[in-house]
Amino acid sequence: MSTAVTRARRALTGATTLLWAAIVVVPVYWLVVTSLRTRADFTADSPLAPPGHPTLDNYRTVLDGDFTTYLLNSVLVTVATVALTVLFALMAAFAIVRGAGSRLSRVSFRLYLLGLAIPLQAVIIPVYLLIIRMRLYDSLLAIVLPSAAFALPITVMILVSFLRDVPRSLFEAMIVDGAGDWRMLLSLAAPLARPALMTVAVYDGLQVWNGFLFPLILTQSGDKAVLPLALTLYRGQFGIDVPATMAAVVLSTLPMFALFVLARRQLVAGLTAGFSK
Amino acid sequence: MTLTASTRRRSGGSGLLMAAPALLLFGLFGLVPLVGVVALSLARWDGLGSIGWAGLANWGDTLTDGATWQALGLTVKVMAVSWLVQTPIALALGVFQAPRGRVRALFAVLFFLPLLLSAVAIGLTWQALLDPSFGIGATPGLHWLAQPLLGSPDLALYTVIFVIAWQFVPFHALLYQAGIRQIPTALYEAAALDGAGPVARFLHITLPQLKYTMVTSSTLMLVGSLTYFDLIFVLSGGTGGPGTATRVLPLAMYITGFQAHDMGRASAVATLLVVFGLGLSMLMTRLSGFTRMDSQQEGM
Amino acid sequence: MRRIPVDGNPGKLAGPRIRRVLASGVVLTAAITLAACGTSGPSGSAGNSSSKSLTMWALNDQTILKDSVDAYNKDHPDAKITLRLFANDDYKQKLRVAFGANQAPDIFFSWGGGALNDYVKAGKVDALTESGAGTGRFTPSVMQSATFDGKVYGVPANGLAPVVLYYNKKVLADAGVEPPKTYDDLLAAVKKLKAKDVVPISLAANSKWPTLMYLEYLLDREGGAQVFTDIAAGDAEKWKDPAVTEANQRLQELAKAGAFGDNASSVSYDQGASTALLYTGKAGMELMGTWEYANIAKAAPDFLKDGDLGYTAFPSIPGGAGDANSIVGNPSNFLSLNSATKNKSAALSYFKDYVLDDSQVDSYLAAGSVPPVKGLESKLAAVESFTDKDWLTFVYDLVQNAPGFQLSWDQALPSDQADPLLTNTDKSFLGQLAPADFGTNMSKAGS
Repeated sequence: MSTAVTRARRALTGATTLLWAAIVVVPVYWLVVTSLRTRADFTADSPLAPPGHPTLDNYRTVLDGDFTTYLLNSVLVTVATVALTVLFALMAAFAIVRGAGSRLSRVSFRLYLLGLAIPLQAVIIPVYLLIIRMRLYDSLLAIVLPSAAFALPITVMILVSFLRDVPRSLFEAMIVDGAGDWRMLLSLAAPLARPALMTVAVYDGLQVWNGFLFPLILTQSGDKAVLPLALTLYRGQFGIDVPATMAAVVLSTLPMFALFVLARRQLVAGLTAGFSK
Repeated sequence: MTLTASTRRRSGGSGLLMAAPALLLFGLFGLVPLVGVVALSLARWDGLGSIGWAGLANWGDTLTDGATWQALGLTVKVMAVSWLVQTPIALALGVFQAPRGRVRALFAVLFFLPLLLSAVAIGLTWQALLDPSFGIGATPGLHWLAQPLLGSPDLALYTVIFVIAWQFVPFHALLYQAGIRQIPTALYEAAALDGAGPVARFLHITLPQLKYTMVTSSTLMLVGSLTYFDLIFVLSGGTGGPGTATRVLPLAMYITGFQAHDMGRASAVATLLVVFGLGLSMLMTRLSGFTRMDSQQEGM
Repeated sequence: MRRIPVDGNPGKLAGPRIRRVLASGVVLTAAITLAACGTSGPSGSAGNSSSKSLTMWALNDQTILKDSVDAYNKDHPDAKITLRLFANDDYKQKLRVAFGANQAPDIFFSWGGGALNDYVKAGKVDALTESGAGTGRFTPSVMQSATFDGKVYGVPANGLAPVVLYYNKKVLADAGVEPPKTYDDLLAAVKKLKAKDVVPISLAANSKWPTLMYLEYLLDREGGAQVFTDIAAGDAEKWKDPAVTEANQRLQELAKAGAFGDNASSVSYDQGASTALLYTGKAGMELMGTWEYANIAKAAPDFLKDGDLGYTAFPSIPGGAGDANSIVGNPSNFLSLNSATKNKSAALSYFKDYVLDDSQVDSYLAAGSVPPVKGLESKLAAVESFTDKDWLTFVYDLVQNAPGFQLSWDQALPSDQADPLLTNTDKSFLGQLAPADFGTNMSKAGS
């Protein structure tokens, strides 16, 4: 009796899984084969058939353009944002945990909690105004600073919940040795929190890498465009050339794909950062 | 007593130094704009000239404009339907992925793919894929897909919700998978001894044990759905069309501010978004006890 | 208070403090580097005060314009023009934002009309003269779009771009349809083409502005040119003219008759599907600007070579108040001078000696585009390719014989009305608006 029910449940989850697998795979497959088609084949071939005359010309078209500039911009912005966020958040989280009970700790914790709930889109106009007034408009820093600011709340939260689990006795031992807060941060909290730091770095990195709104509003020059923004430029630029646009999409995803192949575990942990705790 | 006081002051000193950079950065770009958006909603600014005082004019315009309420309604609809679509699928996928095994691991890798793509990449791909003339609908046998899925005012919003699910279901499936793996097997063993069937075990062990995961996932889904801007922007060519069928609140704000250049009115719309977002978060926190961290913090 | 008192020796802090200073130094350096990246590029007059170079923005299909910049740069190796090309859909917005942030280019490209006038009124654009920029060599009717209060604010830098009706000769012949001369012909053609299972008229309704072309022509044929001329001059009440309602009625009549197929609302122009439908024979006709000729030449050269592309003026409406010879579209595009530029004389010499000079005119003609320059007859006669010659003569004559050349509405109106205009057009096309509501909504948006 119960095996029948088990089978039914397995069948249900199995069917959902297979169906969803198809839904995930077909667009990705289409994306790749389309990027390998010639323009003529794109309007003539059956969309899901393998390309009639496979070609890498579309990739050449994209790489002959400014793709490397966009890639470099994305890397610069992501690295700078992650470095800034993780550094600042670690210090802030340490201060919150060590100063537990103090007003500073309470108030800042509540501010970050509030920060979690601010929709980024809702404050883009004042951010735009600020960036213009700071004369940062159309610079990579104009993306980095707000991106870091909006990554801080969640990063601080995750690090706080991690640092709070560090046994008090470890800190006490260091205090007995005469260590100050800064030394405890650098030689105890930071090394202990390494897995958490990796996790938040991956999480923040993925968010910034794929971020679109800040680049859209706060930059304009082609030589400042990061990859997601550049993709929308390609659409206009290649106009009728869907295969070239798809090649650009594939190329823009390759770095994340490489990261996925190399460090899947960290990426999964990073994505579900703290949420699945 | 004196010792504690002096301790606190001292550690407060370096504590302040440590907390300051993050507070400054977050304050400047997170909190100042929060106040700024309310201030700008009382101003007249075309993005080109200087900023002037407008009083409550923007608010009058915004609140009496049917378009605002339509955008708000669409936002709520996207939120609710997304939750209804994504939760069961994510739960089923999570249940499937949770036991370890090679086949399951392979599926897990497949499901991960959408998470690597940016919203823009996803939007561009689906827009071309759903083109009725040269997209997937041109495949023999799939002609039933050659419909104006993104072009018909009746279908566009649901198509958008589907693509959103495509992007986010894997993430929530991961959450559920992790949640299921954390359920102690002893619970199942004990229930099996008591003679509980698989359905009973699912209903009485798995689901209750996943309560916290479900709350987390739902909170992220609901609050996150306020921010589905990138994808809808790309899928609708920046217009929230056809007509205004996919013009959710963030998109209405963007179009008012950065296309029609009425920053004051756009700020009023943005303020609505802030109020809505904060209200929703507060509600979810109340309901779920997500403040757990907070209360622990205060208890220390 | 479970905490153990902290040792109060300040000396212990020295090491970490140094590291802290180092760390903040690293962040600062990174910040400065990034900020420098931000301003070192050719980001406009604001960042460029020291050099003699110029920045210029245009659209990315402006390959011939690019040649004029290359020619200028060859002659001025020390003071080059840096040209940036944009996609159509983002461009206007980027320009606006750039002006707002005082980082606009020295020379910018526009459609003239209300959007350019926005900048003129804000004091962002310098007026141009015959002696300074050589504004006298261009077709006068075209210059109207860049003339405000009697002063000229731009030089044309693109071919004439009236909107015409393209058709696929084979598809029409298969269905036994003649190119439509009147609106009733058009409706009849739609029925016949539909019966043949092709899309009668290809339309990229997802982009909204291609749909607007129908309203522009229908209103012009129905109510005459004066109706919109009054609206563009600021009389929003004119939106309630009965002819506006009739134009919307006819657009909806076409849509209901299946003129645009079932999927038009999904087709976006930038993806090129509307063009592809025409040259792949899946659609019979397309209403589009003259730039479409060059697009087709690039995407499907054989289609042109075989002589399968036909073109004609927009059908007349018998009994309408408008002139069947008048045209709508973009008279041209214009290059204008940012009043904040540091290198006015360089920009003016570029306008005068490089924009639409003799070799530019030849290049435009070779690309199938007629530039708005006076006295082109002899050059037209000398064009070698028959396909192109027919086309160029058609466009040239169309413009020469037109009593009026109406700038497209979304360009003619101030930019804050562009979104309501396009949204209401789309809604009217989708049948979400009663024909009369279009005018009501627009008069509200314009007041």
